[in-house]
Amino acid sequence: MGADASDLSLVRRVQRGERGAYDLLVLKYQHKVVKLVMRYLRNPADAEDVAQEAFVKAYRALPQFRGDSAFYTWLYRIAINTAKNALAARERNPVSYELDLHTNDDSSDMVSRLKDPETPEGLALTEEIRDTVNRAIAELPEDLRTAIVLRELEGLSYEEIAESMDCPVGTVRSRIFRAREAIDRRLREVFDGGLGRTEELV
Amino acid sequence: MNQEERESQLSAMFDGELPATECELLSRRIDRDDNLRARWSRYALIGAAMRSEPVATARSGFARRVSTALRGVDERGRARRRRVLLNTAMAASMVVGVAGLSISMLRNAALVAGDGTPGPSATANTTASNTTLPEIVTAPTGGSAILATTSAAHRPSSAEPLSYVTPASVVNGNDALRTDLADFIVAHSQYSMPLMRRSLLSALVSNEDGAELAAAPRAPAGTPAGALHAATAASASSR
Repeated sequence: MGADASDLSLVRRVQRGERGAYDLLVLKYQHKVVKLVMRYLRNPADAEDVAQEAFVKAYRALPQFRGDSAFYTWLYRIAINTAKNALAARERNPVSYELDLHTNDDSSDMVSRLKDPETPEGLALTEEIRDTVNRAIAELPEDLRTAIVLRELEGLSYEEIAESMDCPVGTVRSRIFRAREAIDRRLREVFDGGLGRTEELV
Repeated sequence: MNQEERESQLSAMFDGELPATECELLSRRIDRDDNLRARWSRYALIGAAMRSEPVATARSGFARRVSTALRGVDERGRARRRRVLLNTAMAASMVVGVAGLSISMLRNAALVAGDGTPGPSATANTTASNTTLPEIVTAPTGGSAILATTSAAHRPSSAEPLSYVTPASVVNGNDALRTDLADFIVAHSQYSMPLMRRSLLSALVSNEDGAELAAAPRAPAGTPAGALHAATAASASSR
């Protein structure tokens, strides 16, 4: 089975005019795309803006996507081009960028701080989420931990993991699901505790 | 299917390990189920945290902002499609209007060229089977056939079309004859090659001499002038 069968299924739905399916693709790839864009634009808030622009561009171009390559490969290319264009625009017009940096407008500063993941709140959330996830992984039984690590960090398919762990594919699927459920339970406790707002995730 | 099985499917779908048909059904269910949707989002968050990707985007409402932006894109797209449809409809109606006006002007010109009385015969009819064909008269010149028309052919009955062509001018008396000649060619060439038919009509339209030759007083048969006349006319009709 192709690694992006579900992506293609979502893409086909979007191509039929069901925009809700694209929201799932955004939720799935937002972190990866922001990280990718941050290689070009160091400022996290700028990176989020450019990543957003990349998702919008990809959505507009989706009717032409034929599925020759994986959706995420195609999306990454768009994101990289968008980031490079933003960088070039900034270099062409450094004056306005400098002015933007030194503006004393309180309202724009507030918006920027709210959006900026590197504000103390944003950093605290990031750290809290990472700690929670890492602690939950450490507490997992060995077979579940190996399965989720091979999947999320090594990017192996279920079949490859099954070969590696010498077990059926169905068992791999079950182990990964149980690992996610255990981590998710811990994560929900963090969000319910008020540090994160669950509604933002939906 | 119970909730746990569905969530297990969700995990497999997130990894691209669910068959496409099941993906389709499950993704539709996610559209209606906020719990599954939130879980999908958290699965992405777990992977991002494990890979040290910037996870605070979840807090900043990134996905929601993208969704709002896309709504704007859809609305603009719909507005643009409406504009294109409207423009197309306006262009089409203009074309129809111009075509109607042209037909009306041509019809009026045909009436002016004929007896000037409007009637059902004014409608252009290109169906050869509905026309009265002009007669061919063989001039009494010892077998030298010259195309001519009887005077009856100049005035078809009111139920029949006036002509296949509209004479450019009614000043010249030969025009009526030229019109009849064109009618004759069209009526008799329905089974001929289109290229030949076009050549004949082109020659007729462009070369007024051809028509004049057909209507010119004929020299008596047997004289050199009569023989020349017959030969030229035959040549003109076969062009």
